[in-house]
Amino acid sequence: MKEIAMTVIVNGDKHDLTVPPHETLIECLRDRLGLLGVKKSCDVQVCGTCTVLLDDRPVSACTVLAFEARGRSVRTIEGLARGDDLHPVQEAFVEHGALQCGFCTPGMIMATVALINENPRPTADEVKHYMRGNICRCTGYKRILEAILDASRRMSGASAGNGR
Amino acid sequence: MAADRLTVVGRAVPRLDARDKVTGAARYVSDLALPGLTHAKVWRSPVPRARIIETLTERAAAAPGVLAVCAAADLPVKRLYFGPAYRDQPILAHEVIRYAGEPVVAVVADTERHAQAALALVDVRYEELPAATSAEQALAANASLIHPEIERAGHFRDLSGLRPIPGTNVCQHYAYQRGDLAHALEDADLVVEGVYRYPALSHHALEPHCVVARVDGDGLTVWATTQHPFPVRRELADVFDLPLAAVQVVVPLIGGAFGGKCYTKTEPLAAALAARVRRPVRLALSMEENARTITRHAVSVVIKTAVTRDGTLLARECDVVLDTGAYADIGPRVATKAGYRAPGPYRIPTLRIDAKCVYTNNVPAGAYRGYGVPQVTWAGESQMDVIAERLGLDPLALRLKNLLKRGEEYVAGDTPIDGDLAEGLEQTARAVGWTAPLARGRGRGLACAMKDGGGTHSTSTAIVRINADGSVDVLAGSVEAGQGIRTALAQITAETLGVPFASVVVAAPDTSVTPYDWGTSASRSTTIMGLAVQEAARDAREQVLILAATLLDAEASMLTIRDGAIAHGDRAMTVAEVISGHYGLVGGEVTGVGSFVPGKSAGSLGGATVFWESGMGAAEVDVDRETGAIELLKYISAADVGQAINPRECAAQDEGAAMQGIGPALFEARVNDAGQLVNPGLIDYRVPAFTDLPPTLETVLIENADGPGPFGAKGVGESGTFCVAPAIGSALTQATGVRLTELPMTPERVWRALRDAERGSLPPTLK
Amino acid sequence: MLRPFELSEPTSVAEASELLARHGDAARIYAGGTELILAMKEGLVHYEHLVNVKTIPGLAGVRLDAGTLRLGAATSHRALERDPLVRQHFPAVARMEADVANVRVREVGTLGGNLCFAEPHADPGTLLQVFDATARIEKKGSARTIPLEGLFVGPFETCLEGDELLTEIVVPPLPSRSAAAYLKFGFLERPSVGVAVAVTLDDGHVADARIAVGCVGPVPRRMREAEAELRGKPRTETGAALATAGRIAGRAADAITDLHGSAEYKEHLVGVLLRRAWDQALAAIDGSPRR
Repeated sequence: MKEIAMTVIVNGDKHDLTVPPHETLIECLRDRLGLLGVKKSCDVQVCGTCTVLLDDRPVSACTVLAFEARGRSVRTIEGLARGDDLHPVQEAFVEHGALQCGFCTPGMIMATVALINENPRPTADEVKHYMRGNICRCTGYKRILEAILDASRRMSGASAGNGR
Repeated sequence: MAADRLTVVGRAVPRLDARDKVTGAARYVSDLALPGLTHAKVWRSPVPRARIIETLTERAAAAPGVLAVCAAADLPVKRLYFGPAYRDQPILAHEVIRYAGEPVVAVVADTERHAQAALALVDVRYEELPAATSAEQALAANASLIHPEIERAGHFRDLSGLRPIPGTNVCQHYAYQRGDLAHALEDADLVVEGVYRYPALSHHALEPHCVVARVDGDGLTVWATTQHPFPVRRELADVFDLPLAAVQVVVPLIGGAFGGKCYTKTEPLAAALAARVRRPVRLALSMEENARTITRHAVSVVIKTAVTRDGTLLARECDVVLDTGAYADIGPRVATKAGYRAPGPYRIPTLRIDAKCVYTNNVPAGAYRGYGVPQVTWAGESQMDVIAERLGLDPLALRLKNLLKRGEEYVAGDTPIDGDLAEGLEQTARAVGWTAPLARGRGRGLACAMKDGGGTHSTSTAIVRINADGSVDVLAGSVEAGQGIRTALAQITAETLGVPFASVVVAAPDTSVTPYDWGTSASRSTTIMGLAVQEAARDAREQVLILAATLLDAEASMLTIRDGAIAHGDRAMTVAEVISGHYGLVGGEVTGVGSFVPGKSAGSLGGATVFWESGMGAAEVDVDRETGAIELLKYISAADVGQAINPRECAAQDEGAAMQGIGPALFEARVNDAGQLVNPGLIDYRVPAFTDLPPTLETVLIENADGPGPFGAKGVGESGTFCVAPAIGSALTQATGVRLTELPMTPERVWRALRDAERGSLPPTLK
Repeated sequence: MLRPFELSEPTSVAEASELLARHGDAARIYAGGTELILAMKEGLVHYEHLVNVKTIPGLAGVRLDAGTLRLGAATSHRALERDPLVRQHFPAVARMEADVANVRVREVGTLGGNLCFAEPHADPGTLLQVFDATARIEKKGSARTIPLEGLFVGPFETCLEGDELLTEIVVPPLPSRSAAAYLKFGFLERPSVGVAVAVTLDDGHVADARIAVGCVGPVPRRMREAEAELRGKPRTETGAALATAGRIAGRAADAITDLHGSAEYKEHLVGVLLRRAWDQALAAIDGSPRR
């Protein structure tokens, strides 16, 4: 079986890897690169717990094959904060109590980053529609919604060129 | 301490674990790796009942990377059976299969992929037998016995009085009576009867069960997704005939639980495999396997209520049947509690309660947030509204008339009611706009319920260690499953000690380090572990003050610790200086210990209720009459928390509980087809999603500082699940005239009821 | 977990077709993988050989060619949802695509993959039929075009021969004074009932009515008998005709009772969604400038 040599940028770091075609992106990120913040849950693309950004697009790491990341950039939850400085979405989640067990949280935050990147000031309905595929069993979604709306307000209030 | 003088309790401080969780640094059992780790996969029965003829494991054993393939006989255990009420559940099926999904053979290999591939080579020959796949079938006169013999586990004091019905599949029978039923029925102006059904549910916490087990020297260490590290330790000690001290159970963060991770589940299997291969073993279930491991009890309730014309409740009869599946798990306690709680939070002179916990050939049922209350409340509160309709009374007024008052007894000998239920219900009604005009086609409903919270006969011990630098370690066995217990315990500690919140660290439960705790369930941890932690903190504080008294030449009773320092006149010392001053070096520590020991009472459960966890709910709905879809517009939930240690986390728990009640009210249910779980995973089992968040979802926290816990706290977290279904059900009735008696109220069921009503067929509940 | 497989990455349709012919039943086209990889992970199917079509230039993309929408089979749902040409000229298609599954599936999953996997509980196949969309099917050395309706043979089964690939979906514009609408209903992850309509008005009469029903029966299909009930009717007198059309379409949909609901309920929903989609389409015609 032929393996695929690839270069991928993960959270800003370049990696040269050789992967079998059947390796999933979550296996690559967790087992090869030690990025345990990418969580595995339903494994059928429904819950969104494994959401990572592939060239800024949200994808299910459980079902996307690892080689599809070749020549592209992947961003996981570990790549969001800058040292001790949390990303505004992370800050908003903490302030609004938008997490409890935390298992859905990395995927939820990555999906939020993708949403705000695409739609800087979403309405509540737009948030619900976009985030429909990210399941939380603990919070009831209310505080997550508040955190997302707050984060989007703060981020669009920030000066241009922050590029996060 | 008066609430207005609290400095950290009562504040919405950020969670201790929030930063780790939002950065991906949080570590769960499923993230754990050990050197030499091997991987286990399980062959599960495809049929609900069978006699095992033989297990053929040679082909699998010869597959690449395989270290062992085990059937029951191959497990190096002293005891094959476990269970918190009865030791009825084998680690791997032995001679017979009792449910579809039951583990029969386990494979251990060097990689998960190798284990998965070898699994396909396992062959089990069996003879399928007729199965009882509902409680009704299992209760039939000619039903065969799923467990001809059962052995009591003897682990929990409240389960020492188990009462199975010999010769039947009833493994626990709870009965309670008071008053004169015949007279009450005679005196009544109205008697209403109905049958209500609540479905089995899957917990679907996002982190499936995961265990890593390692055998070292003469001992065993297990990292497990469990809410009950100490009971699991006890089970493992029994299974391997080891002293408790040789068994260590460690629980880092877990990714949700909701009761699905209570008591022993997959730990004995992982441990037995680790003992067999002499290497650490990781057994991680998939979400589908999780659903084949544990479920919520499906419950049917036949309920009859006698009232006078003015709405005074005279009598209630509740016959509750719970489908506990192939193994009892904690079903006997759930059944007992379901029966005990079935009458509702009302003053009812005459009661006849009968609850039966029934074995079937379905997946075992166990603890699930609410613990029987959502199921019996669906029945009891729906019927209260039927009564209100029939008598022409306002549903709120009917309830207020009958709600127990503070100080009244629910059952003779049990702790009297410790809250203002009427206040909670009135606040809930106000918040939903109960008396405001209602747009056409819409409806409102409300409901109330309570449970005896805190668990029965439970105990917790905690240690508070003040280090030489003034930082504090809290050793408590409470499991952080998302509810925020670590943060609450840190707040209690900081407040009691008088030290900054930021200086307190709460350890992960580790049975070798953190003292005994009965378990993280029953909404008990804030109250009971909280009391233990508070006592430990007081103990440590007193020791520090005695040391300080010497160093400051003062009376200890005149000293307090504030913000980590003790002041006396113009002198002040930090706690760190006191400890170092005493030991003469930057070392040493002050160690405080505290315990909570259960009380005794003559109540029908034999143990005093720690506190009453009451919940109220009110809903406003719109109904699409053509499709039957119910649109939830507003849901208000009220929880009596006594004193919120962390108000944000209390509200967040209640909101999450409400959403977990919205699921089964409207669309969430397991589908069981002749013992086969048709919808194990999330594609066909619908859990609430973002789009189910109603435009208004509000929680009201009732705080009267009247709980037994620290600073007047009570437990919280379950009551939000109690009232959702009946509140929505009654709102549906107000909007459309139809009442459903079986959950979930799917669009199709609503549509059928509307259509039947239109055609003049009798609505289901009117008799 | 996925069992190992070989991956080929052809750079032409001919090469892909050759690979399919060579490996026969052991090979399968792989585009987004949102259905295929899922089924392989669950152990429901296994292919020793996956043929990646994303490496074939020109297979993805949206073109508007004299009013006709030409969609590369490997175009993602998300691309269709957001494409300015689709949103402006075929708004019903963009709206339908925006509601497929969840955002992550839409980012990776392709229209062609969705159509070829032929999962009954899906959306695109239903709506595209009311545009009289056609499917371009190619293999080494030849190509054919069929009505999209003909692609679907049964659940998870298409008319594609072993060495054929779907390369393009062609969506002609509706005539002037027309609009399309798609409505679906369900409470599980996948839709339970989907109804699409396309209405053309002419001088206050229904000049054309096209109806398709999906998710309910084994394949999504046009309901021509139901359509006939509506053609020619004055637009203000379609009430009874819609009810009749709904009943006809409901019965013709071959509903089965399953987790999504009973056959009876699904038939009923077909009628409800038909009437609502119809009203939506008329409102869209009324709301748009006269052409």
